[in-house]
Amino acid sequence: MIEVVASAIVESCLNRLLVLEPELTRSLENCKHKVIAVELRDWQHTFALTYVGHQFIVFSQYQEHADCHISASLETLTKLTNPSLLTQLIRQEKLDLEGDLQLAQNYSSAFSNIHIDWAEHLSRYIGDAPAQQVINSTQKAHVQGKTIGSSFKSTVTQLCQDELKVTIHPLELEQYKMHTRHIKNQAAQLEQRIQLLLNR
Amino acid sequence: MKESPQDTADFGYKTVDREEKASLVADVFHSVAAKYDIMNDLMSFGVHRLWKRQAIACSGVRKGHKVLDLAGGTGDLTAKFSQLVTESGQVILGDINDSMLKVGRDKLRDLGLVGNIEYVQMNAEALPFPDNSFDVITIAFGLRNVTDKDAALRSMYRILKPGGRLLVLEFSKTNNEALSKLYDLYSFNLLPTMGKIIANDSESYRYLAESIRMHPDQETLKSMMEEAGFEQTSYQNMTGGIVALHRGFKY
Ligand SMILES: C[S@@+](CC[C@H](N)C(=O)[O-])C[C@H]1O[C@@H](n2cnc3c(N)ncnc32)[C@H](O)[C@@H]1O
Repeated sequence: MIEVVASAIVESCLNRLLVLEPELTRSLENCKHKVIAVELRDWQHTFALTYVGHQFIVFSQYQEHADCHISASLETLTKLTNPSLLTQLIRQEKLDLEGDLQLAQNYSSAFSNIHIDWAEHLSRYIGDAPAQQVINSTQKAHVQGKTIGSSFKSTVTQLCQDELKVTIHPLELEQYKMHTRHIKNQAAQLEQRIQLLLNR
Repeated sequence: MKESPQDTADFGYKTVDREEKASLVADVFHSVAAKYDIMNDLMSFGVHRLWKRQAIACSGVRKGHKVLDLAGGTGDLTAKFSQLVTESGQVILGDINDSMLKVGRDKLRDLGLVGNIEYVQMNAEALPFPDNSFDVITIAFGLRNVTDKDAALRSMYRILKPGGRLLVLEFSKTNNEALSKLYDLYSFNLLPTMGKIIANDSESYRYLAESIRMHPDQETLKSMMEEAGFEQTSYQNMTGGIVALHRGFKY
């Protein structure tokens, strides 16, 4: 249940962001109605995000086929801020990206282009002077956040470039995965049917 | 008491005529319609939103899908589905009660959701659609109010497309004893009192509490779904089993 709460919180933050940053609506136009899923291996939990035009919807415990599926442990995901580790992570099978690379790229560029004027938004709630103070005192964190943001961007870019150079051709990998998935589903169905017959 | 089980049905803890049940249930929802959303938030401390959120995540609803939100009431699920299926899909909000439908329609219109939603009054036991019509059917907190649940499940199965799925979100049985005691105390004492204060209608809320207890538990509902033809049926408990989400497919 905690994951569902988390997804609700993330969703409302993202939707708030859409209000603060109208530019996002434009840059996410290509992502509309596509689903990007992030599987946290250590939580054994998959979150998914979709943009339906003027609004985000975040799913927790997502089991459907997503347009782009990223799988990694939380630790690996935080390591993504160091792009040089990327190819290595994929080779070590610590990170996996299947499906629409473009979608991941679109998302990362849309989010890294955000430049919110926090002082202006804050001042509407608490007045100019205190707003400035809050901004100053959080500036350090802000700069840090920006660094993380920009290195995340370059990371994803690199991910997409490196992916193409990783030993197996991505299309082959993709097809292989689709096959295994298909077989897995069929096996599950078969099992179900056998179970039914046995129970009769 | 046992002489003619076919002619009677449970209305909360009372046993009533089958036909009477439908109109008694209708009365309950006519009288709660206006305050339904507020009461939902208060009664569940907002948690019903999380339960519904999980149902939506498990629905697999996508662009272009045709979805039936059965016993949809004030349309919480319909609102999300409408955004997910886009203009190329369609959502039908079905309910037996026109007061609930009206509250739902007004609410969704205010949210700016128009174009791909239809509002249809219907009885879950005899759904007015041709075979193989829907990709997804959901029934959230509705099945326990239906008199003939088996007929309703069969009817849902009939109108699902092959490959389509049914999701049943409903109160269920918790196996945690402490939680169960607390929950009893809450629903039989606090809940009708809240209903009295806020909606001036403790009877309806007493019915809700009782109908929850009379509803089949997880395994029973799962086998009822299988009986109706559904395959790959499964369920997940939420909030310690106070609520369960059942899922089944038609192949
Ligand atoms: C507790 S409300 C649930 C509304 C909504 N799905 C939600 O989760 O908020 C139950 C709804 O079931 C409807 N209902 C009861 N019996 C029904 C039946 N036989 N067929 C269709 N709807 C029915 C009621 O009118 C009511 O709107």
